[in-house]
Amino acid sequence: MPPKIETRFGRIRVERRVGYGRLYSISMTLLSLALAFLVVALILTSLGLDPIKAFQVIFGVFTKPSLLLESIKQSIPICLAALGLSIAFKMNFWNIGAEGQIYMGMIASTGIVLLHEYYGFFYEWMIMPLMFLTSFLLGGAWCLIPGALKARLGVNEILPTLMLNYVAILIVDFLVHGPWRDPKGYGFPLSIPFPEYAKLNIVLGDPAYTGLLLSILGAAAAFFLLEYTRPGFEIKVVGQSPAVARYAGIHVRSTILLGSFLAGGLAGIGGLSIVSGIIGRLRPGASPGYGYTAIIVAALAGLNPWVIVAVSIFFGGLITAGGALQMSMGIPKAAAQMIQAVIFLMILVGEFIKRYKVTIERPRVGEE
Amino acid sequence: MIEWIESVLGLTIQVGTVYLLASLGEIYAERSGVLNLGLEGIMVMGAALSFIFTLAYGHLAAILISVIAGILMSLILAVMAVYMRLNQTVTGLALTMLGLGLSGFLASPEVRKVILLALNPSLPESLLAIQEAPKLPEIHVPLLSGLPIIGCFFRQNVLVYVSYIAAPLMWFILFKTRPGLSLRSVGENPAAADAMGINVFRVRCLATMISGGFAGLAGAYLFLGFQPFWQEGLTAGKGFIALSLVILSTWNPLRAILGAYLFGGVEVIQYRLQLFGLGALSPYLLAMLPYLAAIAALVAVSIESVRKRIGVPASLGIPYSREE
Amino acid sequence: MEKLVELRGIVKRFPGVVANDRVDFELRRGEVHALLGENGAGKTTLMNILYGLYKPDEGEIYVRGRRVELKSPKDAISLGIGMVHQNFRLVESHTVLENIILGLGEDKLRIDFEKHRRRIMELAERYGWRIDPMARIWQLSAGEKQQVELLKILYRGAEILILDEPTSVLTVQETRRLFEALRRMAREGKGIIFITHKLNEVMEVSDRVTVMRKGRVVITKETRETTKAELANYMIGRPIVFGQKKVSAKLGSIVLKVIDLKVLGDRGYPAINGVSLEVRRGEILGIAGVSGNGQVELAEAIAGLRRPLAGRILLNGVDVTGMDAGKMIELGVAYIPPEGNKLGIVPGFRVVDNLFLKAYRYPPYSNNLLLNWGKMLEKAQELIEEFGIVTPSALSRTSSLSGGNIQRLILARELSGIVGGIPRLIVAAYPTKGLDIGATEFVHDLLLRYKEMGSGIIFISEDLEELLLLSDRIAVISGGRIRGVLAREEADAEKIGLLMSEAVIQAG
Repeated sequence: MPPKIETRFGRIRVERRVGYGRLYSISMTLLSLALAFLVVALILTSLGLDPIKAFQVIFGVFTKPSLLLESIKQSIPICLAALGLSIAFKMNFWNIGAEGQIYMGMIASTGIVLLHEYYGFFYEWMIMPLMFLTSFLLGGAWCLIPGALKARLGVNEILPTLMLNYVAILIVDFLVHGPWRDPKGYGFPLSIPFPEYAKLNIVLGDPAYTGLLLSILGAAAAFFLLEYTRPGFEIKVVGQSPAVARYAGIHVRSTILLGSFLAGGLAGIGGLSIVSGIIGRLRPGASPGYGYTAIIVAALAGLNPWVIVAVSIFFGGLITAGGALQMSMGIPKAAAQMIQAVIFLMILVGEFIKRYKVTIERPRVGEE
Repeated sequence: MIEWIESVLGLTIQVGTVYLLASLGEIYAERSGVLNLGLEGIMVMGAALSFIFTLAYGHLAAILISVIAGILMSLILAVMAVYMRLNQTVTGLALTMLGLGLSGFLASPEVRKVILLALNPSLPESLLAIQEAPKLPEIHVPLLSGLPIIGCFFRQNVLVYVSYIAAPLMWFILFKTRPGLSLRSVGENPAAADAMGINVFRVRCLATMISGGFAGLAGAYLFLGFQPFWQEGLTAGKGFIALSLVILSTWNPLRAILGAYLFGGVEVIQYRLQLFGLGALSPYLLAMLPYLAAIAALVAVSIESVRKRIGVPASLGIPYSREE
Repeated sequence: MEKLVELRGIVKRFPGVVANDRVDFELRRGEVHALLGENGAGKTTLMNILYGLYKPDEGEIYVRGRRVELKSPKDAISLGIGMVHQNFRLVESHTVLENIILGLGEDKLRIDFEKHRRRIMELAERYGWRIDPMARIWQLSAGEKQQVELLKILYRGAEILILDEPTSVLTVQETRRLFEALRRMAREGKGIIFITHKLNEVMEVSDRVTVMRKGRVVITKETRETTKAELANYMIGRPIVFGQKKVSAKLGSIVLKVIDLKVLGDRGYPAINGVSLEVRRGEILGIAGVSGNGQVELAEAIAGLRRPLAGRILLNGVDVTGMDAGKMIELGVAYIPPEGNKLGIVPGFRVVDNLFLKAYRYPPYSNNLLLNWGKMLEKAQELIEEFGIVTPSALSRTSSLSGGNIQRLILARELSGIVGGIPRLIVAAYPTKGLDIGATEFVHDLLLRYKEMGSGIIFISEDLEELLLLSDRIAVISGGRIRGVLAREEADAEKIGLLMSEAVIQAG
């Protein structure tokens, strides 16, 4: 029996819609987006800010080429982390720890660079590949901890992944305030800047293009894994029902460990793209919440790897817009995060309206 | 020596009250089957609003507004997770992000100025740019506050006293009254409660609003009662740690007192160790203690609840619908 | 005779089906009125409407002569209507008392535990029940839990009681006790509606019976004026033939030997407490017993899904005790789980995914890491035709299939040999539960075919007629132990019933 809410206007009844077409789906999503922007406009107006100018800035981020490149650059860590999340969520593993795994990836990459610069380990040409490898491993290991807790002890992964975020951020704080502080950095908590061979500019010498290639490769890998490989199939079955998975002879524990490791690994590479592509060195707060944005992106994209790439660019644009809004209109940077959240909420509401039909029953005359 | 114990104890109570207030409300929400991941966002909003409103009107208004804001924010979660049956984890996170973003936005110097002037046009210029607010005063309970050691329990601010009363009261309501029984039944077996004529949705909605109200109060306390200096990342995951606390306390308000003060104690140790300037141990590493403790607590409970048959509210996180 | 309840012209539609089609029903004071019909006939829907859980699309409800509208169970309860559902709506971790007083508006705020404790014990005594109000629900047996459910509604002064398949979880003794209590209630002037599909019970306890089929009322009769055969006819629409499908098969070597097996249930108590049995190639061993006596745990242990506590399992002479499901699948054990459409498939997956849920890891459907969808789709098409699965395509969502077709899918997956040949041992747990006649016959024929091909089959069912139809031997399980094994020739409902009520036949 669908829930009924009695109101002054009659009974509101909610029932599941039987089926809806693609066009309807897309138009509802756009409507949610429009609604989100309306809410944002209201907030801005109530504070005496010009909403139209603000939206011009936001849209400019996607139309002006230089800003578009910046948006793409910002989208890389989000995209990679979100791809990892698509694997985790498909397995019903609520990885809220992408942020921490990103940080661990950053630590790994920086570590390799420092090993070479300070101690002469490795040859130059080995650095980039090693960075990729270690970011993946360390990010994966960081996610493996809550994964193992879930697999072996049945601990729900939401809180451990979350707690490890704070721990990872503190590890970075510790390193850049301490042993990894750049001696020539005037006392600021920064690592040395990454030398050229450690920068993510293989394609056209620009991190945006290189990163985009990385995103696309990542999406292809995630897609291939889930659709065409045995472990991918097992991940999906475990995600739907561990009981059915066990019945099918699948080792649920090993699958959870694998899935969590892969998810963390991809986020770790996202971390690499930050220190190597966006900032060029390690510093505190290097990730302004990319890992959390990735959750929104993955959810909105319906866990589809290709859609994730596109949605990541949209959110990368929002982050860039946040900076632009601050420069041109003095709107604090926190606005970007707030806008993200409003969009998210509106789209969630849109999802609900897509799936359920809300009708208002007026009491018929004579009936009581 | 006694002064040292008293100061540590007093500080533990001060720090722990944040956790206590937040987890008391959340216990009610989770007992009804709703996981409120928006706790962190509501807390930081409570802190931000109490900052602004204390400057504009004073402490009482600030606390009230924080609680009301908390209730309204959690209403969003209630509508989405309970009525629309959207995924509780995702909606809760969205709420936290909203809270974090909105609070940073409202408390930022530029926006804050606008709001303060709108609320109270007669505010002096100095207050518009200030980054801190007056702290809640300590209220000494006559006679009791003079006692050795125990006395420090009674030399706290008003919100701490609120927590002293709230915890046992909420325990009583939960286990010894009719509405408490209804709440617990909704969380354990919503179908059973529904069949007995209980409105599952309304109960969950109210419980969620209670958790929001308490989270807002906790945020107000964090700022006004503890460290009334606004900065980014003020809450630093305290709301999430409170969630671990709820689990550790096995959803029992009385045990939550112990857990809250335990976590408070861990933080106090962290501060003390920093003061002693343990050279090798960087403050950052020490700051990890609460989070690691939270994980340890979760692990400990997980091993236990396999043996304990009475553990997690059975319907926690699962939206209820009558059809199936 | 006062009419307690009258339902006129009730219509209730769900997407794709008319659950109640202009149904008229009445309940008199002091009578036990059975509502008889197969699964899906619409009985539970009708009663859910009376209890306020559903709202009828058309029709009227009269209680004690007055027209009423029931917006929720609260309204029904206030009118003195109480319902005991098939799956209990009890809070396991709470006490009996807490469950009974749940939702009661009596106490303003504080619960008066003492007062309620006394009242509950008085009430229980009246009907001959011994219940400790402070016991926790998970500590009680199924029969005791049902008593709590009944106490719940009696405590609120219910005069109209609706019981949905109450005996499905009870032993013979508990059923007897229940019927006695019901008759006592009827003598007190209450009216009782008794939903069932068991003809025996209708004849034993009811005063009148209403038969429903496919959403319509077929007939309402005084029980003493009708017979089982007549009712069966009304229920199904054609006479049932009670007999045996005789398929002579040469019984071969022993495929499965279970020695003194002990298996823990979900609650930590032994669900299987020393079971020994054997199955030969080409033999169907039926397992009879009220569900909940360890059948599923036994099946799961054999299938590798549950680790035995003690004892041994030998497959073709090889000790396979404790091996996991994957290994057992490889060794040729097929398991058809109970409630297949809930536990045996992934509803969100496509048909081809579910067909290859176990076989995906074997060549040619995969090599090393990669899946070969081409081969799988090809074979899926074959299986769809061979097993008569009605579906638009192999890529359709499995959740859109009917229950019968989902069962066909599961059978196709388990029995077709895609996992590597004809299964040596088939463990089928309630494979026809919830299926209509056509699907049930399909399952029977299929199993008989595999019996002919030499598979050993363990067939768990609650339906005695089905067991008598198919089995070569019938083992009766009760309380986690085998109470006796009867050969088909010497088995009948009475003997099996006796064994189920825990009287052990010495001959063994």
